[in-house]
Amino acid sequence: MVQTLATTLVVASLYALLGAGYVLVYRASRVLNLAQGDLLTLGGYFLFAAAAAFPGAPAVSLPLAAALSALTGVLVYLVLMRPMAGHPVFAAVLVTVTLGILLRAAIVFVFTDRTRHPLQNLALTNPPRPLPGGAVVSTFDLVMIATATLLFVALFLFLRLSPLGIQMRAAGERSLLASQRGINFHGVFALAWALAAFAGGLAGIVYSSNVRLEPSLDVLGLRAFAVALVGGLDSLAGVIPAAILVAAIEVLSIRYGNPLLSDVSPFLCLLVMLLIRPWGLFGTKEELERV
Amino acid sequence: MGLGGGYFKTSHAADLSLVDTHLRKTALAILVIVLLTLPRFASGFVLDLASQAALAAVGALALNVLTGLAGQISLGHAGFLAAGAFTTAALVERGVVSPPVTLAATAIVGGVLGLAVGIPSLRLRGLYLALGTLAMHHVVLYVAGEMQARAGGNTGFTIPPPRLAGFVLKGTVAWYYALVAAAAVVLLLSVNLQRSRAGRAFMAIRDRDLAAASVGIDVARYKLAAFVWSSVITALAGTLFAWQRGFVSVEAFGFFVAVEYIAMIIIGGMGTALGAVLGAAFVTLLPYGIDAAVATLSPGAAEYYVFPAKFGAFGLLMALFLIFEPLGLVGIWRRVRNWFFLWPFRHRPLRASS
Amino acid sequence: MGGAPLLELDNVEVVYHHVATAVQGVSLRVPERAIVALLGTNGAGKTTTLRAISGFLGGDDARVASGRITFRGEDITDRRPHEVARRGLVLVPERDKVFETLTVQENLSALVPGPRALVTRAQVFDYFPALAERRRQLAGYLSGGERQMLALASALLCQPSLLLVDELSLGLGPVIVETLMTLVRRLRDELGLTVLLVEQNAAAALAIADAGYVIEQGRIVYDGSVERLLAHEDIREFYLGVGHRADRKRYTDVKQYRRRRRWF
Repeated sequence: MVQTLATTLVVASLYALLGAGYVLVYRASRVLNLAQGDLLTLGGYFLFAAAAAFPGAPAVSLPLAAALSALTGVLVYLVLMRPMAGHPVFAAVLVTVTLGILLRAAIVFVFTDRTRHPLQNLALTNPPRPLPGGAVVSTFDLVMIATATLLFVALFLFLRLSPLGIQMRAAGERSLLASQRGINFHGVFALAWALAAFAGGLAGIVYSSNVRLEPSLDVLGLRAFAVALVGGLDSLAGVIPAAILVAAIEVLSIRYGNPLLSDVSPFLCLLVMLLIRPWGLFGTKEELERV
Repeated sequence: MGLGGGYFKTSHAADLSLVDTHLRKTALAILVIVLLTLPRFASGFVLDLASQAALAAVGALALNVLTGLAGQISLGHAGFLAAGAFTTAALVERGVVSPPVTLAATAIVGGVLGLAVGIPSLRLRGLYLALGTLAMHHVVLYVAGEMQARAGGNTGFTIPPPRLAGFVLKGTVAWYYALVAAAAVVLLLSVNLQRSRAGRAFMAIRDRDLAAASVGIDVARYKLAAFVWSSVITALAGTLFAWQRGFVSVEAFGFFVAVEYIAMIIIGGMGTALGAVLGAAFVTLLPYGIDAAVATLSPGAAEYYVFPAKFGAFGLLMALFLIFEPLGLVGIWRRVRNWFFLWPFRHRPLRASS
Repeated sequence: MGGAPLLELDNVEVVYHHVATAVQGVSLRVPERAIVALLGTNGAGKTTTLRAISGFLGGDDARVASGRITFRGEDITDRRPHEVARRGLVLVPERDKVFETLTVQENLSALVPGPRALVTRAQVFDYFPALAERRRQLAGYLSGGERQMLALASALLCQPSLLLVDELSLGLGPVIVETLMTLVRRLRDELGLTVLLVEQNAAAALAIADAGYVIEQGRIVYDGSVERLLAHEDIREFYLGVGHRADRKRYTDVKQYRRRRRWF
């Protein structure tokens, strides 16, 4: 029981990190970034490369990998998404699909598709930690939960209270009006993408240290997009309950059902949500009309 | 994009005709002659390419009606293809191989699936609809995967070539003619659909479905009709695919295939049948073009470099089209045509008010 | 009003999609501290002109094909919107004029002001008491008149030298239109603001303007001081709805078609 709870929290944290990335990008570019999973994978490979370049120095490799992920987000915005500014939404979604293709191709090209374990080069270990109630989690499981929590707190404070955060919300709603008010929305959106890629990269860094690293990790991103939709594509707050819900259903269906079913369960959640409440648990209903 | 007045049709026949100017009639005649005589002077490899392009064109035309004409974004197109192929496989497993029965069954299964996938479209639009179709696609693949695993043949199903009244459809040349004919039929149907009442209803729904409802168009019925039309045609294409390949496996219908089809209609030009065909040809020929390019530029490159290179080049091209020419190849053609129309002006001057 | 104009358009031509000319040969001058009206019917080219000035055209695949736009002596013809806004040329748009998911208070913070110091937030609440009462309300739930006020208020907080107002009166009742127009004139009188007012409601605009331009089918057809505009027969007939002309032009008198052979 406690083990199920613990596993759910860990999976939920991973989905929450990815979900935050989806919501941030949605509010900036009004698209679902179908390459978010590949950004996770990229983060893991950045860690692998950084760890190989600076072996035994996690204090250097970890921030470096995270910074590189954020930088990738900025580049993606400037090169791919900014030119798509006036184009229809679904074309922009397809551009994110092509981004995913390009990232995947680049990763396989540089690193081949062998499975890697960056932890080895980091001189860190991942010992199991027993919890009360007989459950066991690994150290990096706990790191995943902590990372997600810290990131969400930081994002909330930023968006609600800081001037730049208010500008980001304004630009995300009406970019034209924002620029008429002197806000350089390209800069603001680049920051949104940087944050999204950063969140995805963090997820990749922790996951690849915890489990393994291979190019096919982008499937995690596909499952997580169900989380973003269930919570409400434009609601950062909605990501948390949605992540817990989807993770719980997935973990329970592994325990009591069929593993193949657990693969498809996020999509079933998504379909149910789309049929009964398309704007998600906490999304704004009007958002639906704007597509 | 209309270029304005000055050219008027003066008879009903002229209005109805699909090809009206001399240049178009000549071009069509040449194309027909080339297609009919291609097996005479082209190698088996080229014929196979043409067959693949024709089959892709069928799927692309179907997707064009759904997405380009009716504006219902569908990311799950590969699911319909899989439905057709797996229905064929299921029938073969039960010993049913008669082509008419298979085609009828596929059409029914495709239609039902289209209805199921289309029901969310009554509530959703745009991005949300796209994601719903994507989710449906995964569900369909899950079902197909279960079927494949359960049948024990974990790698897939073997399909015998279709035989009707003693005639067996197999061989490169026979399939070339069959698939080109199929593509031509679907093309004709699509072009006529565009000009019909249903086609106009689709376009109205695409542009502004609330306004379409307010002028009396039964939006729900037409949306579902678009999904069903598209899914039936694509499922039938899936059957043709299964027959031609002789082998069906769930790996052949991943998300990437759906992306390819969307790429076809975008690269070709959304909303036009010509665009779907051009895009289908382009996307089908692209991997071979890249192979040829890689072979000339760096012969003997390791296999594991070639695959990501193909993949990456495809993604890059698609991104370039999306960014620079969202109206696709048809858009490029129209720009060229406008240049000729407006020459020597660069753009239309304002007429002085009298 | 002598001296160099604050805003000057010199023979501006705007082309859409590389093929369709929307405005041609448009020249206008807005002197400092003046209220200048730009009048015209739908489709005449007023909004296109405003978009060209505020740097918006890229969105519609449009560009300024020839001519120059100068603000304070500086050429701003192809500048991006936020650069134009930060130089003190602020647009109050016709549609989408407030951030609906932000509160009134947040709307007034979602901006990057220009260099000049024109108003403080307290002063803005003085000019718009209705907004002061609704600080925490989501802007999406404001009425039409309150939205227009919020749009004007946030434009003011960008510390403009010149305010471009697009269709202030659109969708509003006559009483609120008069209130807002009077407010605009008050802002000019008390703060030294310059205003370019684009309006279909010619009477309301000419009530507060000093001078005006009339644009038809993409060209400026008449300009002058308000007295001169009010005295012109055609303007009285077509824009103000007073006056009477027996010899009206008919649409059928204008020949528009020409047969052409189609090649492609």
